[in-house]
Amino acid sequence: MDNTEKKTISRKTLNKSFHHWFYGHLTVFSQEHMQTFGYLTSMLPIVEELYDNKEDQEKAMKTYTAFFNTEPQLGTVIVGVTASLEEARANHGNVDDTTINGLRAGLMGPIAGIGDSLVVGTLIPVILGIALGMSDGGSPLGAIFYIIVWNLLGYFGMRFAYFKGYELGDKAVGILVGAQGKAIRRAIATVGGMVVGGVAATWVTVKTSFKLTNSSGKAYLVLQDKLDSVYPGLLTALFIVACWWLMAKKNISPIKVMLILVVVALIGVLLGFFNPGLSY
Amino acid sequence: MTISWIQASILGIFASLSSMPGMAGSTIGNYTLGRPLVGGLVCGLVLGDLKTGIAAGVAMQLVYIALVTPGGTVSADLRAVSYIGIPLAMVAIHSQGLAATSTNAADLAKSMGTLVGTVGTVGTVLFYGTATMNLVWQHIGWRAVEKGDFKKLYAVDWGYPWISHFIFSFIPTLLMTHFGSSAVTALKTALPMDGIPMKTLFTVGALLPCVGIAILLKQIVDSPLDFIPFFVGFTFAASLHLNLVSVTVVSLIFAMIFYKLDMAISTNRQAVPSGTTSTIDDDEEDEDI
Repeated sequence: MDNTEKKTISRKTLNKSFHHWFYGHLTVFSQEHMQTFGYLTSMLPIVEELYDNKEDQEKAMKTYTAFFNTEPQLGTVIVGVTASLEEARANHGNVDDTTINGLRAGLMGPIAGIGDSLVVGTLIPVILGIALGMSDGGSPLGAIFYIIVWNLLGYFGMRFAYFKGYELGDKAVGILVGAQGKAIRRAIATVGGMVVGGVAATWVTVKTSFKLTNSSGKAYLVLQDKLDSVYPGLLTALFIVACWWLMAKKNISPIKVMLILVVVALIGVLLGFFNPGLSY
Repeated sequence: MTISWIQASILGIFASLSSMPGMAGSTIGNYTLGRPLVGGLVCGLVLGDLKTGIAAGVAMQLVYIALVTPGGTVSADLRAVSYIGIPLAMVAIHSQGLAATSTNAADLAKSMGTLVGTVGTVGTVLFYGTATMNLVWQHIGWRAVEKGDFKKLYAVDWGYPWISHFIFSFIPTLLMTHFGSSAVTALKTALPMDGIPMKTLFTVGALLPCVGIAILLKQIVDSPLDFIPFFVGFTFAASLHLNLVSVTVVSLIFAMIFYKLDMAISTNRQAVPSGTTSTIDDDEEDEDI
């Protein structure tokens, strides 16, 4: 083969690959292969451009049949990185199946961790929080605000991640999982932790209606007030930590934890601990 | 208020677009159209009562504010909440003659949301139904990859899943919203607001966001010390009444300090961080369902 000319992926093909990922990363989701097919459709334009003969194309595509799942927005960076690695492989660089898949497997965990606390835990609750305030009283303004802000940030953020990943190639790995990556993750986890705490205190309210009354009907112990005087939102915080403990320490699935909460709610209502005070 | 076949069909299409593995992609689908706040806008426009739609959407968004799906760990799929729960809540609010923005209307909307979406497990059934049926299309995809017929991958990823959604999003939404309006009225007689089942339902609605928050915490907290940022944020909001943007701004200074500190330590040491590999393994396990 004649290899004097260095193969590069055209801007047009990179755009195509990005849009395939932007749209299709989860469309054919199953429990067995979550984002694998999204990845395949995203790599296909690149593989087709880099390799002329069918055999090489098939060999390259086989690489991406391995299981893939991460946080889809930030995970775009991984697709960008593999695009650059595939380009290196086509130019007979020191890259093979094992390199690419080792890198994908090594990145998808940490990226999911950062992505979940950054996108799902911080960005979306903050935009939603602002939007909810704007839509108070039935105004469509908040909903429209959310649609515009989130989609602009989502689209251009993902685009940036893709092209940054392509530009950095395997250097991205050092940034994402090396010492700097560790520092970035800790910084983001701190922001994520504090915002999640703020979200919990702002939007989650667990209140007890339990009180003790004396013979004349006057309440001498209102449990909710006592708890709040110790630490505002104490009961809410306790319930959250209990849910965390069940899931993280006892390995109980979220669905089972929800069912446990249904039982807790029923018992609480029967004992008079919970009373939402409803009426038609 | 009734929901016609045409209105129900439009809601069905939105349910197909907005689910967790939805046909509009996760950015536009799940994270935009799937949010109850946006669902309220869409349902309001479709049913011709914007104000009630938004009010119901806001109420339900509060229940599901943190109940998002990190790493696919929870299958509380919001398509049922946004496009079955909200329309039915709107019908219920109308049939009770409640003012759209009243507290009672919001309470009613919340109860419908928790009932249809989670306690009724409609969302869960639809989620697993879609994901399981997608296995068929993926099987076709694997055959195509083996044969080198790669163009077929586009049909597998973008085309065939519409069939899963026709069965598990469109049809259930169509039937439940169209026929649900009479059921909503029946529900009110069967389950009075001050009865034990309704009180339990509302309490569950208040407790559910705890699970969502706890799932997010599971991603962040490895040791008890990692709880500190969470409680600092919680204190800012609960005791000092800062809003979320303010909490985020304050958190940035801590993030900056930690980053500089970690970088300074690692440049001083000039050593390979030994903990890196084990952290990666832990994170990967979280990704497996």
